[in-house]
Amino acid sequence: MKYQGEALRDALAAEYALGTLRGPARRRFESLLKYDPKLQRVASQWETRLAPLNHDVDPVQPPESVWREIKRRIEARSRAPALTTRWDSLGFWRIASFAGAAATIVLAAMLALLVPSDRSQEMMVVVMVDDYARPAMTVSWPTEGHGDKELRVRLLVHAEVSAGSAWELWMLPRDDGKPISLGLLTSHEMQVVNVPARLVGAVNAAWGLAMSAEPMNGSPVGVPTGRILYKGPCTML
Amino acid sequence: MSDAELLHKLMARCVLRDERAFATLYRHTSAHLFKVARRMLRRDDLAEEVLQECFVKIWNHVDDYAVARSTPMTWMMAIVRNGAVDCLRRRRPEYGQEDFDLFLESIPDDSPAVEERLDKRQEVNLLSACLDQLTPSQRQVVTLAYWYGLSHEELSAHLGEPLGTVKSWVRRGLNRLSQCMQATGR
Repeated sequence: MKYQGEALRDALAAEYALGTLRGPARRRFESLLKYDPKLQRVASQWETRLAPLNHDVDPVQPPESVWREIKRRIEARSRAPALTTRWDSLGFWRIASFAGAAATIVLAAMLALLVPSDRSQEMMVVVMVDDYARPAMTVSWPTEGHGDKELRVRLLVHAEVSAGSAWELWMLPRDDGKPISLGLLTSHEMQVVNVPARLVGAVNAAWGLAMSAEPMNGSPVGVPTGRILYKGPCTML
Repeated sequence: MSDAELLHKLMARCVLRDERAFATLYRHTSAHLFKVARRMLRRDDLAEEVLQECFVKIWNHVDDYAVARSTPMTWMMAIVRNGAVDCLRRRRPEYGQEDFDLFLESIPDDSPAVEERLDKRQEVNLLSACLDQLTPSQRQVVTLAYWYGLSHEELSAHLGEPLGTVKSWVRRGLNRLSQCMQATGR
């Protein structure tokens, strides 16, 4: 809530771009940036506004050793066969949040059709989109109550799970924490995912959901290892 | 092809893991980015370290670049500037007070003549016109912070003004800058 005021957000973004936002405040601001596309836009706007200040001095060629070291590092990385996850990548979060924001706007009308008509209780709705921001799946659940919960999953596109693999649904926490598995999905159009009571609070507070392609029995390491097929942010309706 | 168009194309090829495009991107941008890091860090070795870290980051996160939000150069500049600010935070104790005092003394005392130091492109003119609307103190703290990576505390020490005063110059200066640039649609 502290960061919601537009003026405060603008002031923080300005001092972030200027470089005077320091210490823990800078860290906190960077954490917020990962999840908040609007804030990212404000920060980018400030970076763009101030950028002309860099035009004042002549470029200075860095020594050749800098490039050699960069080249060595990126080549070493591209050869590394390690089991990689996408969760250490800021990039994933940003892309996820952008695609999600676009989909949320486009689909505002569509949601009314997808969400059960009983509006007496608040529903969390997640419109999950593919890499091109096309809606592919919705997940919804009532947020009230603390017992076990059923998440209603609806696939909007026809897709098959590839042989030898499985689809796994993940909850993406708001902070820097790792995704939490909510279980495997099938390619059925309508399905239900049971969430145990101990995870209900976390799911209600989640930033969003994602679905990844994993080996037959799900990710062996507890975080997504395969391609993220669909993802989207949680929206309270 | 304009610089920005060329950089867009190179970045698109980097997304497809084209290492030659990345080498070209480096050739086109590194000298500009290096000078910015060098001015903020005042030490060539640290600036080289930051530049290296940032280009590895650019390669690893190039698919994170959103065309609509800023130009490739502004995006890369933000990565380098953030890298330099982080480096300042980690390394400042190494400088020693004496080095730092010497550095502070080397900064021109009067408010930098922004128009004289910037070239004449349109976006530069706009920023410089808006900077002109700030009070001299506001303009001075904003440009010193941007160019030399000075924190509120360092600005306060350099200018011999109370911390609260400096903070308020920065805040009001940015606020006025924002109003002026919004009025022109930036």
